[in-house]
Amino acid sequence: MPSTPSTLGDFTVLPISIPPLPSFPKPTTHYLYLRHNNPKIPTPNDSRSLFLTNCPVDSTDLHLRSLFTSLVGPGRFESATFEDERKDTAHKLSPLDAAVPVNAVHLLRAHGSTKKRKREEEEDVERSKEDEAARLPSTWARPLRKSGSTAVVLLADEKSVEQVLKACAKLPKTKKYPEWGAGVANKTPALGSVWLKQHNRLCYPDPATLQQAVDAFSAVFARREKEAAEIAKRLRNEPDEDGFVTVTRGGRNAPASRSEAEEARKKMIERAEKKRQEMEGLYRFQLREKQKEEQEELLKRFEDDRKKLEAMRMKRGKFVPEA
Amino acid sequence: MESGPAKRRKLDHSQDGAEKALESALSAGGVSRSRAFILEAEELLEEARIDYKVAFEGADQLLHKIKGSIEAIKSQEPLPILEAAAKFEKKSKIKIPFPDPQPPKNSNYKVAFAKPAQFNVVGSYVSKTMVKTQKDHSVDMIVVLPQELLQEKDYLDLRYFYKRAYYLAVVANALQKEVGSERQLSYEYLNGNPLCPVVAIQPRAPEVTEGGSGQGRLQYRIRIIPCAPEGFFPKGKLHLGASLVRRGKDSESETPAHPTAFYNSTVAAEGSFLSYLKLLRQTEKKCAAFKKACILGRTWLQQRGFGGDASKGGFGHFEWSILLALLLQGGQKMGHAALSTSLSATQLFKAQVQFLSVMNFSEKPCVLGAENVDLEEHIESGPILYDFARGLNIAFKMGHWSAALLHQHAKWTRSLMSDSSADQFTPTFILRADLPSHTFDLFAHLHYTDVLDEVIGNDYSESRGRIWQLGSKVYRVLKRALGDKELGERARIIHIQTPEQPKWSLSEKPKDQTGAALEVGVLFDPANMSRVVDKGPSAGATAEEKDECERFRRFWGDKAELRRFERDTIRETLVWKSTTPFEICEEIMRYILALHLRIGHLEDDISFYGNGLVDLLSIKPADTTLYNVARKEFGTFERDIRNLDDLPLRVRQIAPVCPELRHASVKPPVFGSLKSGPRPMDCIISFEASGKWPESVAAIQRTKIAFLLMIGNLLENSKQGVKTHVGLEDAHFETENLAFLDVIYESGPAFRLRIHSDLEESLLERQIKDKTQEQYLRQRATTQLATFRRLYTNLPLHNQTINTSITRFPALGPTIRLVKHWFNSHKLSCHFTDEFIELVTLHIFLSPYPWDAPSSPSTGFNRVLLFLSRWDWRTEPLIVDSGNELTSSDRMAISTRLEAWRKIDPSMNHTVLFLATSQEPTGVAWTSLHGEAKPTKVVAMRMTALAKAACKVIREEQLNLDPRRLFVPALKDYDVVIYLNTKAVKASLKTYETVDPANEPSHASSKFKNLDVVTGEAPLPLAMHPGDVLLEQLKKVYGGPLVFFRGATEDNVIGAIWNPGMERRTFRRGMLASYKPVKQKGKRGDDDTMEVDEEEKVEVEMNKEAMLAEIARLGGDLVEKIETK
Repeated sequence: MPSTPSTLGDFTVLPISIPPLPSFPKPTTHYLYLRHNNPKIPTPNDSRSLFLTNCPVDSTDLHLRSLFTSLVGPGRFESATFEDERKDTAHKLSPLDAAVPVNAVHLLRAHGSTKKRKREEEEDVERSKEDEAARLPSTWARPLRKSGSTAVVLLADEKSVEQVLKACAKLPKTKKYPEWGAGVANKTPALGSVWLKQHNRLCYPDPATLQQAVDAFSAVFARREKEAAEIAKRLRNEPDEDGFVTVTRGGRNAPASRSEAEEARKKMIERAEKKRQEMEGLYRFQLREKQKEEQEELLKRFEDDRKKLEAMRMKRGKFVPEA
Repeated sequence: MESGPAKRRKLDHSQDGAEKALESALSAGGVSRSRAFILEAEELLEEARIDYKVAFEGADQLLHKIKGSIEAIKSQEPLPILEAAAKFEKKSKIKIPFPDPQPPKNSNYKVAFAKPAQFNVVGSYVSKTMVKTQKDHSVDMIVVLPQELLQEKDYLDLRYFYKRAYYLAVVANALQKEVGSERQLSYEYLNGNPLCPVVAIQPRAPEVTEGGSGQGRLQYRIRIIPCAPEGFFPKGKLHLGASLVRRGKDSESETPAHPTAFYNSTVAAEGSFLSYLKLLRQTEKKCAAFKKACILGRTWLQQRGFGGDASKGGFGHFEWSILLALLLQGGQKMGHAALSTSLSATQLFKAQVQFLSVMNFSEKPCVLGAENVDLEEHIESGPILYDFARGLNIAFKMGHWSAALLHQHAKWTRSLMSDSSADQFTPTFILRADLPSHTFDLFAHLHYTDVLDEVIGNDYSESRGRIWQLGSKVYRVLKRALGDKELGERARIIHIQTPEQPKWSLSEKPKDQTGAALEVGVLFDPANMSRVVDKGPSAGATAEEKDECERFRRFWGDKAELRRFERDTIRETLVWKSTTPFEICEEIMRYILALHLRIGHLEDDISFYGNGLVDLLSIKPADTTLYNVARKEFGTFERDIRNLDDLPLRVRQIAPVCPELRHASVKPPVFGSLKSGPRPMDCIISFEASGKWPESVAAIQRTKIAFLLMIGNLLENSKQGVKTHVGLEDAHFETENLAFLDVIYESGPAFRLRIHSDLEESLLERQIKDKTQEQYLRQRATTQLATFRRLYTNLPLHNQTINTSITRFPALGPTIRLVKHWFNSHKLSCHFTDEFIELVTLHIFLSPYPWDAPSSPSTGFNRVLLFLSRWDWRTEPLIVDSGNELTSSDRMAISTRLEAWRKIDPSMNHTVLFLATSQEPTGVAWTSLHGEAKPTKVVAMRMTALAKAACKVIREEQLNLDPRRLFVPALKDYDVVIYLNTKAVKASLKTYETVDPANEPSHASSKFKNLDVVTGEAPLPLAMHPGDVLLEQLKKVYGGPLVFFRGATEDNVIGAIWNPGMERRTFRRGMLASYKPVKQKGKRGDDDTMEVDEEEKVEVEMNKEAMLAEIARLGGDLVEKIETK
């Protein structure tokens, strides 16, 4: 491809040659786009990381490592974080976040935060440990990336970043594109049938492991439930700075379960409805009104039919018997 | 009037204008459906109306011209018939169309020609009841033979018909000279009656329409019909029992002579053209809606393949209108008319259909206009619908079979009319109900040329010809064999189709039709169709019983044998070897036709059609047993679970939720396959209500895992030979169902259990309602709730519905399997839920109009395709109401919901197909999955297009169609075709707990099977078929750029098309496909001014090859090759 541009917007183009396979025997070129990483919320590592978009779907840490090694030599590449992994924390709830009793969500959100700040570091470590314990085992030996997705690559230092970009700019002239997956073949888990078989095997984890994950989760959940109950108890007695006392569930009587309350409400509505029905048709004016309503309904339906017919007429051929 | 109550008046004037509308609404009928029917029928009448001035331009002039030229023919002196004929034929080169048998050599009566006594134009041209969609339009002119040419005795021995033929030839000769240059003259039989040839005059070649002037002009023809003067032949001599054709029998010695009912009626009909014209004219005047009712009737008959022609059943528009006119006339029971003249057209139509559905005049004579007339003895000769006043059997052209079919069609239409929930209009008037592939379960062609002479001989007493005679013999035999009420009717309908006689040129003899096959159609009775042993009369000692046995033996021949049954009864018995209804019927037909008519001694004497589809899937009656075995195994499994003592909650229900356990999987369930790990069948378990569930969806999911682990443990401990595995779902969120339990019995069957917790539902509901929650969380809760309801509420009910329907309709199960096979072959099934396909098929059985519920899989399949091709899913919801539970207001609400969806989402991104049932009125449970439409609009459109194409092929090819053609996938429609390696897929069907597939020794390396690590260990169950997993992964990764198509789990060819909307995009980060930069050099020169803009919006192009290379890498050894367009 003679006219491949070296930049695209503020991205640098990195063409990669894809070796042909027997099932698709055509050498192809994939294009990776990179630029300095400047996320909206800056982190200390931004200056030495690169933002990649259009990653191949079978990208792994190793793939990218080999790619960058071929560009700027070994020792520069530190790690890669893929789009779905990053979103993990935001979107895919970690088991710990999920392990919150429903009735405690609000309470913890409003009142639990103050306590946390004091020993944040400490808690973070413990948290990730718990998280790890409660997580269910993954069913994939090697997850795929979505087509066209992004990744952030952490390099050794700022200089390496510049070097990588420079090396990319040179590529179109030399036409010697780095090869995808060179030298990683045996180090990454295989795809294809082995990959699917592994998946099936991983779908059935060891019962003991499963039991452990469930137990870890339950422990956290029970603790949270207790915490929430305590906060609620505290709040019941403490007025806040404006002098208001928060109304919480569980007063003198044992707290009613919410579903029971809902049931009771349903029953009440039913009773009211029944009563209303009994009263219907008691007065003459009710009957008359009902009659009038029925007539109007009939008229409306007639109009509807006519309209529908009009619409059908628009679609030709509806009224012609099939030949 | 004055004293009318004051209160009422008050009500009246409150809404003056509305009152009128209300009245019209009320007059149109109470229920919405029938109102729509009336309006639609009005529309049909309007649409079908012909503008006679335009359409029949010049017809009147032509008629006048013809009349003039006939009148100008010179009279001829009487000559003996043979002499006159020879002379005429020599002179004019026109053949005289004498009916068979030809006039005998010794005839000495004379023929002559004189000016016709009368001309008249009759038929639907004058009454203006033709419709546009009619096959051919003809203007009928009758020419009444002058009395002086005829003698009273002419009704005997075809003499009248010889004279009539001579007269016709003379007229034809004159007309040939007069108009033959511009028009084509030919002979044809009036209504296929070989006694009555007529001359048809039609334009030579299809005229080229000049500009717009020819628009709406019809290719009509004019028929010249000679007939007898009214009342010339004495009515009394022409009664049904008289024998008027005595020739052909050697002498009077033979007693008694055969009655010639058809001949007699033809003679009577020849003299009654004018009186019927009068009758129709009077009725038109009396009853305003008469004509419209006739047009409706004509359309109804036409769509069912009925017409006045004998080969079309002999009941056409003319018979319909006469019958209606007679019903409108006084003189019925107690002197009253059966119908009131003030009825509307649709009411008249419905009344007539009702009449036809009640009166079965092929079994019991129906006499109009008189009481106490007994014609019972003549019913053998044909159906009787007797107009007493004119002494004519209106149904004389019908065969027993066509009368029975008409009766059946009327019954079906009547049941449609009483079903207020169905669309009444389209099946009644629009759909074509005459296709044998949609109507009959079995269709056979009889080739009879060798046996015709043997069976029929030279018997001319039946004037309808030898083929007809053979047809009625075949019918009689089959009726006795298949429709015997004593044995239990196997066939609801047996239909005979005789070949049609085409027109022929003036100078020739009519073409011999004996080469054409006789067609027989059979519609099974689902109650008796699969009976293998027929129990005949019991062999008792009384004379009566003996007599009966004797008759039974005489009919069935050697096949009848004596057998002993329960309670020591000994009966005459027939035992058939075949197993499927179709094959049994074939066996019986071959046997009995060979026995009585000697047809079928050779294999190719009879060819059968209609079983091709069933053969394709090799659907066997034994399959039912396999399904039942699966059900039984499920019962065992249920008992095993219920017997567990240590469960903390009591089991309320264990419900099956998979096609294998509702007789609806393409292949019947087979256990213990050696080639793959077990494939468990899905079930749901629910427990008694409990307060112990934690109040958090995520915690519930974890609790379920603990529960499953416990059930697994308990089961393994309590039962021998049971292995359990807890498997993980491919879940994205902690709040989704996370795990299932696979229970594998050593004997083969395997089940997959998921736990239902009712608290989950209310928690999700609460989340959706909670306004303080973030929007995306509420959205997620909504989809999760939909998934929850689908799995735990709807699916168990669906399983029940299908299972009960399967017992109600024996053909439903196989039909579902065929339809699924069709979806599979066209690679559509990965876009449709099983339940959707099952419900669509069920719909055909619940609302089968214009037929009855299909009794064989092939008719069912054909009708499902017909439905799919006609379903306008943009505007119509599909409502499947198996329990008859929905009220009309429910249905209305469902329609309104669809309308609302279409308003919210006019481009149909979220909701495409809409299928509501009584249990699931939201309409999207089976047509969407995880918040996305399933199928999408593109796929739904493809389904419709494929169904349309299939229907077209079925209609065009009819019986010659090789059913395999309907199942050939159109691979060239796909941009990309991915071929999976069959071997590699098969190899990945087995995994083991202790063996890591990455280190698994390949089969080539281990020479000895018994040295395998693997041997001795049972394989893990399949969480999902590897082919399905691969497809799921591909869909997930390339959800934007590619749409994949794949059939069943065994389908190893995946088709895909590129999303045309994503071909080119402006570049930004995080796109949904792989893109490559585009060369933009050429463009740059043009828009120099736009440079700033261009910097920001760089276009990129989809990098298709790179993506395909990725697929090749993902698939690895699974992908054999990838082909692109």
